[in-house]
Amino acid sequence: MSDERIERMFREGIARGWSRRQLLQAGVAAGLVLPLSTALARSAAGAPLAQGTENPLGVDPAAPLDVVIFKGGFGDDYAKNVNDNLYKKLYPDAQITYAGIQRLGEQLQPRFVSGNPPDVIDNSGAGNLDNAALAAEGQLADLGDLMAAPSYDTEGKTFGETLAPGSQETGIFDGKQLLLNWALTVTGVWYSQTFMESKGYTYPKTWDEMMGLSKELKGSGVAPWVTTGVHPQYIRGFVFDQMLWKHDPQAIVNIDNLEADAWKAPAVAEVLEALVMLGEQEFFLSGWEGLDHIQSQNEWLQGKGVFLPCGTWLENEMKDSIPADFNMVVAPTPSLPGDKIAFEGIFAGGGEPFIVPSEGKNVAGGKEWLRLLFSKEGGRFFAESTKSLSVVQGSGEGLDLGTAFGSTQAALTAAGTNTFTARYGDWYKDLGDTAKSEIASLLQGQSSIEEFQAAVQEASDATKDDPAITKYQR
Amino acid sequence: MHYQKYRLIVPFLLPAILLYGVFVVWPYAQAIYVSMTSWRGVSPSRPFVGLDNYRRLAEDSRFVEALSRNGQLLIVLPLVTIAISLVFAALFTQGGQAIPGAGFYRIVFFFPQVIPAVIVGILWSYVYTPNIGLLNGVLRNVGLGGLQRSWLTDPATVLWAVVAVAIWSSVGFYMVIFLAAMQSIPSSFYEAAVLDGATRWSSFRDITFPLIWETVRTSIIYLSIAALDFFILIIVVSGGSTTMGAQRAEVAALYLYNQAFDKNRWGYASAIGVVLLLLTLVLSVGIMRLTRRETYEY
Repeated sequence: MSDERIERMFREGIARGWSRRQLLQAGVAAGLVLPLSTALARSAAGAPLAQGTENPLGVDPAAPLDVVIFKGGFGDDYAKNVNDNLYKKLYPDAQITYAGIQRLGEQLQPRFVSGNPPDVIDNSGAGNLDNAALAAEGQLADLGDLMAAPSYDTEGKTFGETLAPGSQETGIFDGKQLLLNWALTVTGVWYSQTFMESKGYTYPKTWDEMMGLSKELKGSGVAPWVTTGVHPQYIRGFVFDQMLWKHDPQAIVNIDNLEADAWKAPAVAEVLEALVMLGEQEFFLSGWEGLDHIQSQNEWLQGKGVFLPCGTWLENEMKDSIPADFNMVVAPTPSLPGDKIAFEGIFAGGGEPFIVPSEGKNVAGGKEWLRLLFSKEGGRFFAESTKSLSVVQGSGEGLDLGTAFGSTQAALTAAGTNTFTARYGDWYKDLGDTAKSEIASLLQGQSSIEEFQAAVQEASDATKDDPAITKYQR
Repeated sequence: MHYQKYRLIVPFLLPAILLYGVFVVWPYAQAIYVSMTSWRGVSPSRPFVGLDNYRRLAEDSRFVEALSRNGQLLIVLPLVTIAISLVFAALFTQGGQAIPGAGFYRIVFFFPQVIPAVIVGILWSYVYTPNIGLLNGVLRNVGLGGLQRSWLTDPATVLWAVVAVAIWSSVGFYMVIFLAAMQSIPSSFYEAAVLDGATRWSSFRDITFPLIWETVRTSIIYLSIAALDFFILIIVVSGGSTTMGAQRAEVAALYLYNQAFDKNRWGYASAIGVVLLLLTLVLSVGIMRLTRRETYEY
């Protein structure tokens, strides 16, 4: 029995006003072997139906639900809102167990090992569970049926269609949607709009202009750049990766795919040559090598440095120390000669990944909880309480939540479909470690570009040759 | 007669043995088993791989590098800590020849030992901070600005910056131990020596040191075990297990931690743990043998 036939049967059935029970019987009668939920979801995807609140995932309304949320930079009010105002409303009989915690790995690992994981988890933050390892162990439920289910409060669209394009790519492992990214993060170069306007500067669109402005800034006694040397993955991920992608998109895809000599590509050397200028000409705030991310961000807020590589969580992370008229905004990395992607292209993708453990007691409930969170209502609550964008399209529309929020939306609009995120750092932690440590050495003048390329290529090859490491392709 | 003895011994020993068995022996046994699996730590499945992890470990240059850092610590940490503590202990006691204010110093030097290691670590991470830190600030103000650096990320300094903290925080503890040992030496020994024309140094060398040797020996073993571990201070002073500083001062225990908690290789991490266990055992027995001397009765 072909998929199309099943789909047609369901569509006709629904059109005739069959109940779900009748459909199920028809399906069984027809020798249907596909899981019901998948088939139903398909039918929903094919026909615009306003059945958003009608329990499309087949949740047992009385089943208890176990929710664990990483309570980090975003707090957890937005999750409690789903518990109290959405899930409980639809399923008043369901008992919700809730925990908002940090360092999820240490606390949840024993539950996974003993086969008793929670039903839905925001698996983020430092010390979280390794999502790649969970995926490789088959511990994560396939969220394909949720993606195809009707949206909770956007009529005529499936759940998947309401999410920002490209935001869920990082959650796909071997073709299956295993993670759902909640926050829409944009990474790039941040600066104070107030400062730039007061000096009559505009953000440089090319690297040459950036170097010129940096020289001028340095001459005026302020450090042009500041970043953390304790966590050099900031400059690697938010500047190097982004510039490389814009210079030659294939080069970074090759790196993600562990291709032979991917790190020795001319594009890598060209981007590094540009970046090395920052170190050589001492454009970084002195002492940057020893600053952690919070310290570097504080120096930046105090006006000691002008440009800071970071992501959209910056404002919320620093909310207690931002001077009144600072007006932080984000911009894409400057262009190099011969770039294949326009200046407006920017790294944007989903962060704050949610998972539904496959061994949980209420898998359908976990998915339903996500369907309610990833709704217009859930997204708007999140935007208002954290000044951050969620992946729900349009959930930030019409909200005036400051320059960081506004510039993020503007950057996304300007970029259009030119958004990207590199994956190698998440997929292969050893490789990401080596790249971050080598870029620190390079920018501190302790090694050459050739040495950088050789060392990181070696780490890439070692990863590729290690049968114990699960490989991914993009 | 014998039965009565055992009736007393068994009930007293049993709880201790039980606790030791459940919380020490059993976890070790489990770790040895886990070290022969490729367990990822996120599911009950623990595929058995035999001695694969140990084979990989032998070829792992990062592990060898980490162990060699432990080796350097093994020499520097006991030597410097014991030398400084002995000097202080001798200055503050030694048969009534204590320097003025000894009572005050004894208490003050013990302070770092009272502060938990984590707080010591955080305190010093601020001392070493490049732009606002105390160390660079002092260097700037005494005209040694050229020596300023990012102590905790510079590959040349990070390990020794942390070692300095370890010495700072443990000198007080060993000083007190040596003080106690020295105070049990009868002061008549020193009086006799002084009459015979002994200097301060010669009475230390010929009376104090031989008589407290057992205590020094115990301290060497303690400090050697600390040098093989050296986990907490590096992770706290450098600001986390995956920072640049921690990576450049990576010791075996930190490598173990990162393999388990950051890279989810619990089998491999357990193999590292088993190797470290064996090294510690060999080292303790070795030092005991090497440092065995005649004990003086007095």
